[in-house]
Amino acid sequence: MTELERALVVLGRALDVPEPPDVVAAVNARLEPRRARRTPAPRRLAVAFALVLLAALLATLAIPDARSAVFRALHIGGASIEVVDELPEVPAEPDLELTLGQRVTLDEARRDAGFDVRRLEEEPDAVYLGDRGTVWLLYGSPERPRLLLAQTPFHSVDQELLLKKVAAAGTMVELVSVDGAKGAFLSGDPHFLFLLDELGNPVEDSARLAGNVLLWNEGGIAYRLEGDVDRETALELAGSLR
Amino acid sequence: MEGRPPDDVALAERARNGDERAFEELVRSHQRIAFRTAYLLTGSAADAEDAVQAGFVKAWAALPRFRTGAPFRPWLLRIVANEAHNRRRSEGRAEALRLRAGRGLPGDAAPSPEGAVLSLERREELLDAVGWLDERDREIVTCRYFLELSEDETATVLGIRRGTVKSRTARALARLREVVEG
Repeated sequence: MTELERALVVLGRALDVPEPPDVVAAVNARLEPRRARRTPAPRRLAVAFALVLLAALLATLAIPDARSAVFRALHIGGASIEVVDELPEVPAEPDLELTLGQRVTLDEARRDAGFDVRRLEEEPDAVYLGDRGTVWLLYGSPERPRLLLAQTPFHSVDQELLLKKVAAAGTMVELVSVDGAKGAFLSGDPHFLFLLDELGNPVEDSARLAGNVLLWNEGGIAYRLEGDVDRETALELAGSLR
Repeated sequence: MEGRPPDDVALAERARNGDERAFEELVRSHQRIAFRTAYLLTGSAADAEDAVQAGFVKAWAALPRFRTGAPFRPWLLRIVANEAHNRRRSEGRAEALRLRAGRGLPGDAAPSPEGAVLSLERREELLDAVGWLDERDREIVTCRYFLELSEDETATVLGIRRGTVKSRTARALARLREVVEG
């Protein structure tokens, strides 16, 4: 530990922090109604499944005018897409590289990823290792990204962790098939990409404004292809991965 | 603090299975560090208390998805830190976080040797420098040095990779060095 680090620890111990309140009783009081409500939920689960199915069905029709709470969520494997009336406020992240993670070479990514990292026919201009084992391939420059391809292994994603798109009501959500794998194509109004933790809170750095996005799962890997491309081009690119 | 994990693992497992007493025990033993975390992130005792309460309530709800055997403390602190963030952001407090350096070290009636190496003036200077770091750098400093969490714990609490903890720590220290030594 350096002198500066030691000084910070000493400073931390000397900080004026108020005496912590005892919250045991307050927490118990807030939990009481929840515990009382804890009942077996097979019926609720069944309803939830039905809603997801309905959501998937309706999504095939595209849902730019989705206003009903009934079809707000579409689940694709470990990812969920939620349509909301208003997008949440997301702090602008001017530094794309910082968001994507650590810059590595494609060979390093292949060595460290623990899965078979795929790429488009074209060599990526930059490769990043991000949180949760995501490998990002950037085509174009960080200032002017043309295409982004993200590959996230499910096994390294906490089982609770959810990939989530939050789309405005004007976003088109179309269910598609990528070489037989279930996927979705999001286009139209802006939407945000979030990685959520077990409580549904966005993980730091994960929120980003995305262009059109093709999202699909294949062989335990969640793929996202983002860029200013139409559905056919995105599907073609997805089919060309190697 | 370090001797806690084995007990936590057993208590968390019992709480996960619906044992309310076990969860109460976890609340009791972690409320101090939870409050400290929330306070250092919000700078407000009221917000911190609210974040801690909400954090425990959410932790109870999330327990069924808590991985058996995983360390409980960083998992909980992450929830609390999220709650603290939400409160700070919802109030639009984007200005530098102002904490205060106390005159003495908590729990020390007599000045300790380590307290003596850092004069009050220098503490305030260093704290000012920390306060002007950007939010991410400040969080790293808070977790690693003010809360004395390990790199792994910090990674869990902030939801980032261990490598990112290392690189951000290095960046934050470099910036602090520039300010206090420059």
